[in-house]
Amino acid sequence: MKLKPLNPAILFLIMLGIGLQTTFVKSVWLNCIVSLLSILYIIIFRRVKLKTIFIVILVTLPLAFGSWWSFMLFGTTDKWHIAWIYGTRVYAYLLIGSALTLTVSVKQLLFNLAGHLKLSETFVFGLLAAFNLLPRVRQQFKRIQYSAQMRGITYRPWQPGLYLRIIIIALNWSGDLAEAMTSQGFSEGYQRTALQTQRLPKWQWGLTILLLLLYTYCGFILKPW
Amino acid sequence: MQTINKNKKGWSIRDVIFLAIIGIFFGIIYQLWSYAYYAIAATPLKAYANDATLGVWIMAGPLAGILLQKVGATVIGELLAAAVEMLLFSSWGASTLISGFIQGIGNELGFAATGYKNWGKLGLLLSTIGSTIITFIWDLFQSGYSSYNFGMLISLFIIRFISIGFFAGVLVYWTKSLLDKTGLIK
Repeated sequence: MKLKPLNPAILFLIMLGIGLQTTFVKSVWLNCIVSLLSILYIIIFRRVKLKTIFIVILVTLPLAFGSWWSFMLFGTTDKWHIAWIYGTRVYAYLLIGSALTLTVSVKQLLFNLAGHLKLSETFVFGLLAAFNLLPRVRQQFKRIQYSAQMRGITYRPWQPGLYLRIIIIALNWSGDLAEAMTSQGFSEGYQRTALQTQRLPKWQWGLTILLLLLYTYCGFILKPW
Repeated sequence: MQTINKNKKGWSIRDVIFLAIIGIFFGIIYQLWSYAYYAIAATPLKAYANDATLGVWIMAGPLAGILLQKVGATVIGELLAAAVEMLLFSSWGASTLISGFIQGIGNELGFAATGYKNWGKLGLLLSTIGSTIITFIWDLFQSGYSSYNFGMLISLFIIRFISIGFFAGVLVYWTKSLLDKTGLIK
């Protein structure tokens, strides 16, 4: 039997629901379980190389360690427990987030959010249009810096001139792009036909509710260590 | 056939693209900024790194607010920046979106307190106060600040207010003043 990935919209809901609760749940065990299940899901349905997953986990280690160490040093009560909770929580957050971002493409996610969770299509297509500009935005950022250096200025993140240039570019580009899209027939708030919609079987809604309730039950009633 | 939303209250495709492009620029700035954060965050001073650099991450919201000047612009602006960050730059997923929302709400409350009439100094001041308080309460739970001693909490709160006050307040105000001089936005 071939395993099928969850619908991206469902995955998004699970991620938000568990992520939100994780903020209030104080349990090392639950953090570890969430992390492990997420890793499993990522490995099975990944869109990236195994190496990338490994790097993501490795790069976060110093942050988790920083959290852990900080509570060992500055914590007031029950240092060991608290330090481990917040050390492992960093990973729970990271991995449940990655379970979405490393397994689903941006396009898939946005289309499914629009199709199944009623995200406005103005936002879907606006975001997609802007995302296509990513390489050009990177290039433009360098150009802003170079052109300032020609005049002997180096822009730092605390100088308003940098943001002014960013805003002017965003104004120009967004105007051009919006005009191009509307001239090609993009309409706001009107029904459109979708080329492909990913199915969302009912059992996945059931699974979401089950998982979230289970997490609530374990996190707030059972409260494992 | 009507294709463009002329209603100033609604969100037009142009507004969305505008904020998303600003969000991408911010994503690049965050990347540069995160090296500084990362260097301190790997030590027990992580909480201080959080609070001292937080302002940069919060800028997108109030900037969107004063540029578009409509109800909800601050929250949506911050959410869009968070969505861009989540989808293009990081794998933090849920936490990026959730914290984007919390930060945006804090700022939005400040503008709401002026009845969405003041987008100048007063609005920005209230917005920075709002987001300092709301994000701090959030971190009491999320980052476990409630386990730190009282003195440390006070110092963290002050550092956070300075960071947010400068980046999401003063710097946004300066940028807006420069922009007003160019006359590009009425």
